[in-house]
Parts: sequence; C-alpha cells; structure tokens
Amino acid sequence: MAENAQVQAGAQPTPEANPQSRWTRTGVALAFGIVLALLSLLAWGLKKAQAGPVDSGLAPDFSLTGFDGRTVTLSELRGQVVIINFWASWCPPCREEAAYLEQTWRKYKDRGVVFIGVDYVDTNKEALAYIQEFDITYINGPDLGTRISQDYNIKGVPETYYVDKKGQLRGVQIGPLKAPELDQKIEELLAEPDPAN
Amino acid sequence: MISDIGLVALSIAFLFSVYGTIVSAYGGLRNRPAWVESSRNASLLVFPLLSISVLVVVYNLYVLDLSQAYVADVASRAMSTFLRVTALWGGQQGSILFWAWIMSGFVAIVLLRKWERDRELMPYVIAVSMLTTTFFVGVVVFITNPFARLWHVPGAADLTTAVFQPANAMPYIPEEGQGLNPLLRHFGMIGHPPTTYIGFTGFVIPFAFAMAALIAGKSQEDEWIRTTRRWTLVAWIFLTIGLILGGRWAYDVLGWGGFWGWDPVENAMFMPWLTGTAFLHSVMMTEKRGMLKRWNMVLIILTYALTVFGTFITRTGVISSVHAFSKSALGPAFFVFIGLTFIGSLSLLFYRWDAMKTEHHLESFFSREAAFVLQNMLFLAIAFAVFWGTVFPLLSELFTGTKITVGPPYFQKVTGPLFFALLLLMGIAPLLAWRKQAAHSLGRAMLLPFAASLGITAIWGYSHRMHPASIFGLWLVSFVLMSILTEFWKGVRARMQGRGENLLVALSKLIGRNHRRYGGYVIHLGVVMIALGVIGDAYLKQETQGALTAGQSLTVAGYSLRFEGLKSYPGTDGREVIEADTTLFKNGQAVRRMQPRRDFFIVQEQPVTVPAVYATAGTDIYILLLAWQDDGRSATFKIYINSLINWVWAGGVIMMLGTLIAAWPPRDGQKETTYQLRPQVFGPQPSTGD
Repeated sequence: MAENAQVQAGAQPTPEANPQSRWTRTGVALAFGIVLALLSLLAWGLKKAQAGPVDSGLAPDFSLTGFDGRTVTLSELRGQVVIINFWASWCPPCREEAAYLEQTWRKYKDRGVVFIGVDYVDTNKEALAYIQEFDITYINGPDLGTRISQDYNIKGVPETYYVDKKGQLRGVQIGPLKAPELDQKIEELLAEPDPAN
Repeated sequence: MISDIGLVALSIAFLFSVYGTIVSAYGGLRNRPAWVESSRNASLLVFPLLSISVLVVVYNLYVLDLSQAYVADVASRAMSTFLRVTALWGGQQGSILFWAWIMSGFVAIVLLRKWERDRELMPYVIAVSMLTTTFFVGVVVFITNPFARLWHVPGAADLTTAVFQPANAMPYIPEEGQGLNPLLRHFGMIGHPPTTYIGFTGFVIPFAFAMAALIAGKSQEDEWIRTTRRWTLVAWIFLTIGLILGGRWAYDVLGWGGFWGWDPVENAMFMPWLTGTAFLHSVMMTEKRGMLKRWNMVLIILTYALTVFGTFITRTGVISSVHAFSKSALGPAFFVFIGLTFIGSLSLLFYRWDAMKTEHHLESFFSREAAFVLQNMLFLAIAFAVFWGTVFPLLSELFTGTKITVGPPYFQKVTGPLFFALLLLMGIAPLLAWRKQAAHSLGRAMLLPFAASLGITAIWGYSHRMHPASIFGLWLVSFVLMSILTEFWKGVRARMQGRGENLLVALSKLIGRNHRRYGGYVIHLGVVMIALGVIGDAYLKQETQGALTAGQSLTVAGYSLRFEGLKSYPGTDGREVIEADTTLFKNGQAVRRMQPRRDFFIVQEQPVTVPAVYATAGTDIYILLLAWQDDGRSATFKIYINSLINWVWAGGVIMMLGTLIAAWPPRDGQKETTYQLRPQVFGPQPSTGD
C-alpha cells in the first residue's frame, strides 16, 4: 500500500521541479501581500474596536459651524445641559428620531438646554433637505474631517450623547431615541445644581 | 445536573473534533486507512454529542433555568415557550453553539455518503471540515460557553460569569431574565439566523472538497465539483433565504420603510453570496468545458474566507455599524482563524497552480463561455465594491486619520450599473451557444423577447411617465423575463409539435428532462422579480410625514390617512402598547382601519415601532407612529408608499422553487444531460501526470 502511494507520488509532476515563471512568482507574492495587508488592517481595526465608545468623563470639546453660519463651542456651554446628536441624511434610523428630537428641543429650549446636531459624513444638499423636511431649528453643522465623531469614538449613526451642566458626559444612546427617554434624561440633568451658583 | 450533561457532551465533542482533525490528516498523508476510519468515527460522533448540548440549552430555556447566565440573558417569564426555544440563537453563546451543531451535522451527512468515487479525498475532507468544526466548538467551550453561570464574589460590584465556581463566590440566581431583544421577536429574525448559518456552514463542504482535491493532487480532475454540486446549491439557497428573511425583518421591524441599508452587517452576508453565486456558475464551465479550474478554487476560497469574515464583522464590531454589536474575546480568535485558513488555502492553491491546466481556451468572445467569464467578472466586481465600501472607514482612518463612512449612495452608484449589466447578461447568455455564436442567429433569437419587452416598456412608460428613471430598469427586467419565457416556450413548442403533448405535460416533461437547466431558469425568474421590487424601491417610493390632531388627515399619492384617536393597553410578552387608530382612504373612499403602534417592552426598557401595512399586489402603504402628545389628542405619522416591494418576497419564493428543481436528483437510468458534452469522452485524456 505504502509502495503504491510512493509510485503515485513519484508519477505526479512535482510543482517545485517545474520552472515557475517570474510572472507567476510575482503574482503569488502580490496575492500574499494583499492578504497580509488586509489582515493587518483587520488587526488594527480589531484593536480599536476593543477600546469601546466614550461615555463618561469630561466631554471632548469642539466647535461646530452650523449650516446657517452660527458657531457653537461646547466648553462655552457650562451651566447648560447639552444634547449632542450625531446623524446623517443617508441614515434611515436617524429619520425615525428626527421628529421627536425637534419636538423635545422646542419643549426645553427656554429652560437651559442646548441641542447640537452633528452631521456625520454627508453632502450639504441632502443634509439641508433633511433639516427642512423635519423643520429642525436647533444648530446643525457638518462634522468636517469627522473630527468630532472620532473624539467621541462613535460606532455609527444615530448616536446621542448627554452632557451635564459641568460638561461631563452622562451617557450615550446608540441607535434612535424613542419617546420619552430624551425627556427623562433632560429632566434628570436639569434637576442637578448649577456649578456656577 | 442537566446542564452538567450538556457541558460534558460539549467538552467531549471538542476532544473528538481535535482528534478527528489531526488523525484524519495523519492517516491521509501516511496512507493509513485504519487511522482515517477511526477519525471518521470520531467525527461522526461530534454531531450527536453537540445535539445533546443543544437539547440541554433548549431545555434550560424551556424551563427558564435562571442559574444559567445565557438563559438569564435571553429569556424571561413573559416570553412564550416558542420564543424561548428560538432564543437558542438569540444570543451570542447559543448562536455559535447552534452554528457548530449545524456544521457537525453537515460533516456527518458527508461522512455517511458513499465514498467509492473519491475515496482518496476523504481524509482531507474530514481534516478540513473538522478543523472548521473544531474552531467553532473551541470558541463555544473556551470563549462563549452557554453553560456558564452567574456568580457573586463578595466585595465585587458586578456579577461574574463563569463555568466553574470562582474562589469565595456564591451562585447568583436572578429573579427574572432579561428576555430576548424585542427587535428580534419577529418571524424574519427567528428564521434568519438558522437559514444564514446553514448557508454559511454549507459552503464549508465544497471548500473542504476543494482543499482535499488540492492536497491529494486531484485538483486537475473535476470529481470534487461533481460531488459537491448539490451541497453548493443547498448552501447557496439557504444563504439567499437568509438574506431575504433579514430584509423582511428590517422592513417590518426597523421601521424605516426599506429592506436593505448597505450596513456592514448586511454586506458581510452579501459578499459570500456574491462569490458563491459566481462559483455556482463557474463550476458549470468546468463541468462542460474543463475551463476555469483555478478560478473555481479562487472563488471557493474567497467564499469560505468571506463567510468566516462575515461572522467576524457581526460579532466583533471591527467596522462601525448602525447595528449593535457585542464586545468579547471572540475577535482575536476569529482573526487568527481567518488568517491561518486564508493563507493556508492560498498556499495550497499556488502549490498546485501549475497542475491545474485548462482543457480548452476561449474560442470566441461571442460564446456562452465568454458570457460566463464576463458574468463572473461582474459578480467579483460587485463583491469587491461592497468589500471596499465596507472596509473603507478603516482604511481612511488608517491613512488620513479621518474615518470616512461611505453611505448607501456609494453602494447604489457603484453597484447599480454592475447589477444592470448582470441582468442584461442574464437575458442574453442563455441564448448564446457554447464555443461560438453566429451574430445573425443571436439577433434572430433576441428579436422576439426584445420586441415584447419594448411593448411592455411602452405601456409602463406611459403610466409611469412621472418617473422616467424607472423606465430603463423596467425595460431591462421585461427583456430578461421575455428571454427566459422564450427559452421555455421553445422547448415546450418542440415537444408539443414533435410528440403531440399538451401544454402542461410538455412543460413538466421539459423541466423533468433537464432539471438543472430549467431549474436555473426558474431561479433567474425569481431574480427578475426581485429586481422589479428593487426598481420600485429605488425609483417609485413616496413618503410624507406630519403631526395630526384627531380628525385631521395626511395625504400622499392618492391615499390619505385620518387620525381617529390614541389608546394604550398592556400587551403580551411583557409590553405596554400605544396604538393609534387611523383610517386609510383611497381617492376619498375608506379602505381600511389601520393601527400603527409603539410597543414598549418594560423589562428591556426598549420601544419597538410596529408599522401598520396595507399590502396590495402592486403597492404597500406603510404607516409608522412616530410620536404623540401625552393627552392623546395629536400624533405624528409617517407614511411610505412602497411600490412593487412585494415582488422581492415573491421572487425569493420562486428562487427556492427553482433551486429545488435544479437540485432534484435525476430519475434512475436518466443521465445528467450536462455530462454528455464532455469532450474528454471522445478523445485521449489531456496529460495530467497519472
């Protein structure tokens, strides 16, 4: 039996003996190079994914210029409750929460609450149409260079971050907001004492 | 006690998997049949052992044994028995066990088949398929064990989850379980994981045969392709069903009026489907003409790697996704496994590269062969575009420091034209002859379907003149449809004239004589139907949104919705329901009372939007309750008019039917007609070395 296998193996062309052309060898090297590059990319992504989202501590500061030209800087909003909502016009679940967000904003805007809409990876035309469609009146602006999204290490849109009067992050909602969770969270943060007084 | 039995069975299954992998490889390489036989027996036992584990988990869910961390995580008293049992695949631990179990079942079926034709492949088929099984069983044993318990360690703030009692720890049994994620309580999500897993694991079998053929030096012969043809078909159709059920779930549950969002998790499942579909077609070229041997290998390796990659993405959150994901030690384990299997299988392929020579070369760019090659290129191009879009956020962050997510517009723009080309090819390719096609006879064959499609398009174009972009899409769909129907008609007419059969007899005999060909055409019909649904979704969708007080109406596309009132009541499965009562009118006539709802699951503190859908053959009226005033006097609604969307689901059913026809075994004595054309039968074998 073993002998038989020997004969069979001997009769087969041994690939090492075949003169491989330079092209084949380059192709093989290239294929392995691509595979290795992909694997390194995945390893790097995996390492980052294990880090998780930011949802406590001092909220990373940023300035945002809105589509209407207004500018807002997070660190200047101490003493107020800030709701930071990451969204995009191409994101279907964002549409689900848009009406509720605007409705809640109108309810609380005179009570020391600021809403900031951060438009994540979008085109201005679609984003403006979205704002118009939902009649959104709080400040909304593009996240240029996705810097804000990266500081908050968002995993996708929509995501909503709650910032208290001291500028501390007090939680994050991943996925669309549903009534009445935003109201509840705002009431909870408003009830806290103002550090300036 | 019962759980201990499950744990012991699981551990023995792991040992047997390791034994089966190593001993079969050794037995094959050293040519020791007794070793191979022993590894086969061990591998066969893995399935019953894992079945015991699965039964124990199901039993624990059924009796709601809350001492089990997994049960406490996915089940609750409020859930019905049926839902509790399906919670087997509602969480991570259970779903990976479930996966390993299906995998071992496939391996068992493979090992029980007759092995006369390809006995020398067996040791390596066992080794490769059991290596995959070992990995999944190992993950279940060591990383996400479904038999872990909850423990309270004195002084610690959080509970510990562990299989064995940590030092000083007290067992902790919660009063009530968390319950299955409310979003998953839908028939689509109950059926989606099992079908997807069967599809994913099913592709391991052709992969194992391919690798075995490479290791055993039999890759020049196409035996492995013939042996695995039905496996590939079964895996492929389950993956297809999984995709469609997932889409249906998204449509019914996620409440954004669509069924496909190009999310990384969706893409993860779509990519192996694309390469798998390419493989399904390219093996036909090998069977008929002995071409594309190396290419098949590349495709099956890619498909296998992408199925594991898909699980990796879904379970580790490497690429940000709108889906929620779970963080665990799974990531590194999957990473190592993907790396080793991908590099290992590519090395094998290159080792045998020169041995796999094509038996024929392309004779004309105007032939069935060329159409197959082009079709494969298109599938690969789509798969690459989807892959690129999926990993692009990672790439851009690495090179520019900025994470750029490409949204659905990228995928639609890039893959749209490729899909159009693929559809067109689907209409023309069946009319092309093998080897060479004369242009004038092709023109003659295309004349009838082309003329008919122009007629249909003219009617369509008139009634949809406000949506000019949809007209081209519809022409394409109707051309392909007509071309497929013409193929059926030609065959049926020949039988009716030649044998005097009536229409139905001729049709059933035509299909019966060549399952593969006509089954394939039926699958193509299903694809055409889905394409029609996608065209409706892309071009004809209309939507509106607004706040209404009782008695007010919202109008879109001839339909109007009148808000009647709001009520709330406690529902089943531990939910509080807010339901809006509305009446739908069409052109002023009341059509139906509709109740869009918002269910609030109390234990999970999670709301679920339940759309009210009025489905007609052509259109779905899809109504969402977005928000409401606490006094119940006003509420905000969103209405989608989803044209043609039901063709997607119907197309899925037709594809299943077609696959059943294509995979149906031929009657005794009836030759598989595809093999008659093989040219080697008439001439000497090309020298392959043996």
